Amino acid sequence: MLEQSIIQLRGFRNIHDGGKITGFQIPVRLNYYRGIWLSQLRPAQVTVDGHTYTENEICWNIGGNIYTQQELCHRSDVHWNNLDVATLIINKDGGLIPGLHEVEVYYQFSASYLPPRIDLNFFSRPDSRKMVLVR
Amino acid sequence: MTTKTHQEKKPYRGVSLYCYAEELGFTMTMEDCFADMYDMGATGLEILANGHIENYPNPTDEWLENWFSLLKKYEIEPVEYGHWVDSRLVPGQQLSTKDSYDMLVKDIKLASKLGFSVMRTKLGVVDEILTPVPNWQEFIEMALPVAEEYNVKMCPELHQPTPLKSAMVDEYVEFIERTGTKHFGLNIDFGVFQSPEGRLQIPGVDNPPSAPEDMIALLPYTYACHAKFTHMTEDFIDPTHPYDEIIKILIQEKWDGCLLSEYEGGNRSVPGYTSDQLRKQHVMMRRLLGEI
Repeated sequence: MLEQSIIQLRGFRNIHDGGKITGFQIPVRLNYYRGIWLSQLRPAQVTVDGHTYTENEICWNIGGNIYTQQELCHRSDVHWNNLDVATLIINKDGGLIPGLHEVEVYYQFSASYLPPRIDLNFFSRPDSRKMVLVR
Repeated sequence: MTTKTHQEKKPYRGVSLYCYAEELGFTMTMEDCFADMYDMGATGLEILANGHIENYPNPTDEWLENWFSLLKKYEIEPVEYGHWVDSRLVPGQQLSTKDSYDMLVKDIKLASKLGFSVMRTKLGVVDEILTPVPNWQEFIEMALPVAEEYNVKMCPELHQPTPLKSAMVDEYVEFIERTGTKHFGLNIDFGVFQSPEGRLQIPGVDNPPSAPEDMIALLPYTYACHAKFTHMTEDFIDPTHPYDEIIKILIQEKWDGCLLSEYEGGNRSVPGYTSDQLRKQHVMMRRLLGEI
């Protein structure tokens, strides 16, 4: 089951690759009552403890496949269901230290049946959450 | 599935799962929603395809099997399949006529496979008053033979701030009359009748209520309605939508489509709140339909 906040707790951890930590991941839900095609999604921005990550520092894991942020606008063939959690993968050698982190996530998406003026910002909203990372 | 109410040429009751947008997946499963509907005797169902179908647009055989088994268990008829022609699918472009057609065909086939007969076809818009994309007639007309083959009716939703008496609605009716099609029609959202205090406030756009009698000329082309509401009182009254008049006209005109509840009020993420509001609305509708 999903949590109401856009940032989901389950899945928040560092990414371990062999003996190394290559980054961390933040699960997010789609703040929308229906799913979208990935080309309707815009690149995300993530801020952890005041440090902001953008563009190619972040990838999306959607349905078990990894997409770069530059790739999203070309993937009108891949669907993200709003009841499925996506995971933001943030590249950072060493990841985050175990403990409490202030996490902020913002991404927008397009809704063609709304006036163009509010296309990207009617449903999209930033979210922040205090999150505990264990490993 | 044919129910008694169908034979009497009267409207019958249903629910759009849109109502449960802040509970379904959070605190409720689809089966919980169906169980709610069964309690209310709401037999007609609307889903939103790219939300409620797992692995849309390619549901698994297992999902399909469960879908049909739940419909049977809770005596539910799939009525309306909500889908979108996402005209701004790719940033900076308007979706071509061919790509729009392809998107429609994919949904027509899936709607039919799931047992739906009506589609709520949401078109992309170009302005504040929700004028649809300029090529809508082209791709809808291309898709008409496919809709006929799969026996579904594509229906844009007439929603505030679009009045029922407007150039946009006239254009839809002209299209239906020109093509003579039975596979493109209308879905009237009763929010068009909402009283001024509850209506959407849109800068620079007048948004006056339509009169319930404005529906009469459109009913021959109307294949489902959204029974919109934003608040039901403890004594089963909707203070901002004139349901007495609306349902009286539907009965008088012998309209026999489905009234699909759409709750769009507050507290939707409060567990049980939406279910309670729906139950109150269905008590009201049962009374107005002469069921009780």
